[in-house]
Formats: sequence, structure tokens, C-alpha cells
Amino acid sequence: MDYAIVQTLNGLGLGIILAVIAVGLTLVFSILKVVNFAHGELYMVGGYFAYYTITLLGLSPFPALVVAIAASFLLGAVLERSLLSPLYSDATERKAEYGILITFGLAVALRNLALILFGPFPLRPPSFVIGVQKWGPFTIANDRIVAGGAGIVLLAALVYFVQRTTWGQALDAVSQSRESAAIVGINPRRVYTLGFGLGAALAGGAGALIAPIFSLSPSMGILRDTQAFVIVILGGMGSVPGSIIAGILIGLAESLFTAYFPDPTRALSYSNAFSVLVLIVILILRPTGILGRRHVQME
Amino acid sequence: MRHLHVYAVVLLVAFALVYARVVNAYWIHVAIVSMIYGILAASWALLAGYVGQFSFAHMAFASLGGYTSALLVQWYSVAVPLGMAAGLVLSALFGSLIGWVCLRMRGPYLAIFTLAFSEIVRIVLLSEHQVTSGPAGLRVAPLLQTPSRVPYYYVALGLLALCLTVMGLVVHSRWGLFFRAVREDEEAAGASGVNVVRAKILAFAVASGFAGLAGAFYAHYIGILTPELGSSDQMGLVVAMAVIGGLERLPAAVGGAIGVETLQEVLRSYGPWRFVLFGALLLLTMRFFRNGLLAPAWQRLLEARPVGSVLTSSREVRKGHRA
Repeated sequence: MDYAIVQTLNGLGLGIILAVIAVGLTLVFSILKVVNFAHGELYMVGGYFAYYTITLLGLSPFPALVVAIAASFLLGAVLERSLLSPLYSDATERKAEYGILITFGLAVALRNLALILFGPFPLRPPSFVIGVQKWGPFTIANDRIVAGGAGIVLLAALVYFVQRTTWGQALDAVSQSRESAAIVGINPRRVYTLGFGLGAALAGGAGALIAPIFSLSPSMGILRDTQAFVIVILGGMGSVPGSIIAGILIGLAESLFTAYFPDPTRALSYSNAFSVLVLIVILILRPTGILGRRHVQME
Repeated sequence: MRHLHVYAVVLLVAFALVYARVVNAYWIHVAIVSMIYGILAASWALLAGYVGQFSFAHMAFASLGGYTSALLVQWYSVAVPLGMAAGLVLSALFGSLIGWVCLRMRGPYLAIFTLAFSEIVRIVLLSEHQVTSGPAGLRVAPLLQTPSRVPYYYVALGLLALCLTVMGLVVHSRWGLFFRAVREDEEAAGASGVNVVRAKILAFAVASGFAGLAGAFYAHYIGILTPELGSSDQMGLVVAMAVIGGLERLPAAVGGAIGVETLQEVLRSYGPWRFVLFGALLLLTMRFFRNGLLAPAWQRLLEARPVGSVLTSSREVRKGHRA
């Protein structure tokens, strides 16, 4: 029983981080109408930003987290400006196709660049708060608590930003109709850059938070990317609350699956296959997800 | 320039036949691997360029074909060519199954689904190591009992020719038109009487079958098979080859594969930088030359022809109308 509770708590922490990643993906999708296949790679890069801010600049982990988020935002904005602008031009045919290939290519390029720059070996930045918490029989690493807490703060900040600020309203307006948004004086180009930057910032922040728990490696984004797709599709493409709920669900489900899979030597690898299987079932049965928004569709 | 296609084919075949006699074993190996990638890139281009179905499970089908053939040969001592045929058939079956499942999915959903499918294939192959030897790699019986690479070269050439002929016939039949109609607008194609379901399943079956065949040949040629064949990086390489060559021409995709693979060998001393280069090349091609690098060059050569090429894509036709 104690084991089940600890696994549930661990799963909850992981689920919050997964929700942060997935919300970034869904934000980019609802605003730019493009599925970012390089989202997992932005998550990976964010982790390395934090690592090198700590080891090279000598900052402590919390300021490094802020630096990683800011740097990921900038990287996202630059990538959007340089690669995604054909998506907004009427001369570009079959935009979904362009979006798939360009982000897939970006993922391959970023992953291999990371392999050269950062090396293939796992790197682990110092803990946010060293040690573990013990409540009676339960033991939870501090880093998991920090990651979960900071994840909630990030999600809350994002929801506040989208719902209560002018720029957030502009994001929502463009996601509903680019033309109408332009008519009321919103510059869609800026909103696209902001949206993609925010998506990258969320992915990068999640990478920085998870780095002390699972270490960093250039290929760490592949699995998270698939998981983020699972969550986004389960929650409904373009729905932020849907992604948050689905993220926590998937985190819990995976954690318990790993704990109770009959063959422990294969539990870890099959827990990855598990979420992918969930994805396949949802895609076949209900492609719009639980809380899918009607107006957010492919063009 | 009326018979340019014919001249080009004759010249290429002559070149390919002479090539094996003049170069050393290393460059023959490079040519064999290029041709395997050529089959993979061309069959992917059939799906992506002609039908507009962006499947990232292509390399999963290649490893499915490879493992099927290798295990059949190992367990039941089936003759290797029969094993390869079984790999082809199984991949084609799975491909049509995926095509059927994906009927309701469009664009990014299909891409995500196939990415997920290939992850599952890779994870299962890695985890079931009693059967597949996992990451250590499965030892595979050779196709030919010879130390020389030259016979393999001719087999590869034959397979590439077979693949291009079959896919060329499909693409030049009315199915080719159906494919492009489905790519441009599924509803409109369906309303005009195109059987969208059959077109998609046929395309998936043909493309996946050839991917399986390429994977099986690769396994029996190299002699060792790891789940890495189905990895995302391998998929990225094949996508880069097809895009750089040109998605809407099968021979251009093969050209892209040969070009990228040769470049990969020439730049071997640069190590992993090559893959960054190919990623960047893929991005630049997509960003600035969406029709690929080879296909438009070939088109320019053909421009002298009085009548437009049959292969002219609807995109170019539409541009022509506008002008």
C-alpha cells in the first residue's frame, strides 16, 4: 500500500511536468495550426540550457531555471521567424504538410547538434534542493516536489497570462480567427512569434525541471514528444485544461503501470509503449479527444 | 529533347553496369547501401509526395521486413529469397492495415500515429531480446554464399529497378492521378468518384511492401540487424533524402538517396556533423526549394519539350493556369 502511495505521488509529479510540456505543444498547435515535431527537442535543449548556466556561469539552480526558460523562449522566437513564416503566406500550398516536414527536420537537426555539442553521455545538473522528504513510511526526493511545485506555478502563470492579459487575449483571438484578429488590430505575426516562443519556453522549463531527476541526454526528447502527443490528443488538440488533466492522468497511469507490470525487467521499456498504445487507441476511437475544441482544426 | 527520358535511362543503366567493374569493394558497398536507401526514399516519396500521407513508420516497416525474413530463415531454415518475399508480404499487409486504420486521420494526426506505431515496434524489438537479441543485434544469414560484393550489387540494382518499375507503373496508371487527387483534396476527389479508401490502402501497401523488401535485403546483406534500423534518426535520413531529391518524382528521390549516401561517405571524417548537415539541408530545401533540388533541375532540362510532361504535378499545372 505504501508503495502504491509513493508511486502515485511520483506519478503526480511526473504528470505535472508532462502537462507543462503538453500545454506548450497545444498552445503552438492552437495558434500556429502546426504540430511541432521538434517540441521534445526544445525540451531537451531547455535542460541543457539550465545545465550549462549552472556549470559554466556558476548560477544556482533556481536562477538557472529562469535563464533556461528565457533562453528557450528566445530560441523558439528565432526558429519561428526563420523557419515557419511560409505557414502564413497564401502562396504556400498544403501548409500542414510543410509544418510536419519542417519541424521533423528541425528535430533531427537539433538532436544531432546536441549530440555533438553536449556529447552522448547523460549529464546531471545539481539538485534544486538536496535530500528527500520522509513522512512516516513515505520517501519522496525533494527534486520531485520542486519539479511538481514549479510546474504548477508555470501552468498557473500561463493560464493567468492567457486569460487575464491583453497579449493572452490576443493569442486566443488569433487561435480562433487570424483574419478577425487582424481586423481588430492584432498583428498576427507578433502573436505567432509569441505563441511559439511560449511553447518553447514551457518545453524548456520542463526540461530544466526534470534534469536533476532523470539526467539529460540528446535523445531524451523523443519519448517526451510522443508522450506530449498522447496527452494533447487525449485532452483534445488546442485545449489547455484538457492537456493539464490528461498530463496528470498519463503521468499517474505510467507510474502505476511501471510499478505493477508483471515482468519488472521490461516494465520500464513497456511503460513507454503503454502511453503510445493509449495514443493509438484514442486516435482510432476518438480523434478529437476529451475536451477537443471544434474551431481549432487543421487548415 | 523529345527522348530525354529514354536517353537518361540508357545512360544510367550503362553507367551502373560499368560502375561495378571499375571501382573497388568499398565504393561498391556504398553503391549497394545507396540503392537500398533509394528504394526506401522512393517508396516513402510515393506515399508522401503523391498521396500526401506523411507516414513516419516507413523504417518500422523496413525493420519488420528485416526481422521477419531473418527469423524465418533462422527458425525454419527457409531459403533466403523466400524469407525476403515473406518480409515484403508481411510489411505490405501491415502497411495496408495501417492505411486502413489511418483512413480517418489527416496530416499531423497520421504523422503522430505512425510515429507512435514505429516507437512501439522499436520498443518491442528492443525488449524481447530472447527472440531478437535486442540492442546487441540479430545475426542474419547472408543472401549469397560469396565473399565478393559484386553479386550483391547486381541484386540491389535489380531490386531498385523492380521497385521503380512497379511504382512507376502504379503512378502512371490512373491510380497515379487518383493519388494526386487525394493529396490535393480528399473530399473533392471522393466526390469526383475516386475511391479514396482503396487509393490510400493501395499506396500504403505498395510503399510499405517495398520498405519491407529493402529492410530484408539490408539485413541479409549486412549480416546483422538491430532495432536502430527503425529509429527516428534513420527515418529522418530517409525523409531528408526524399525531400532533397524531390518528393514528387520517384527517380528524384532515388537520386537524393544516392547523393546523400555518397556525401555521407565522402564526409566521413566529419563524423556526426554530417547528420547536422543533412538536417540543415532538409530544412533549407523545405524552406526555399519545396520541390526538391533534383526534380526541378530535371524539369528545366525537359522544358525544351513541346508538350508538358505527363508527370507534371497538379501544382505546376495550376501555376500554369494562373500564368
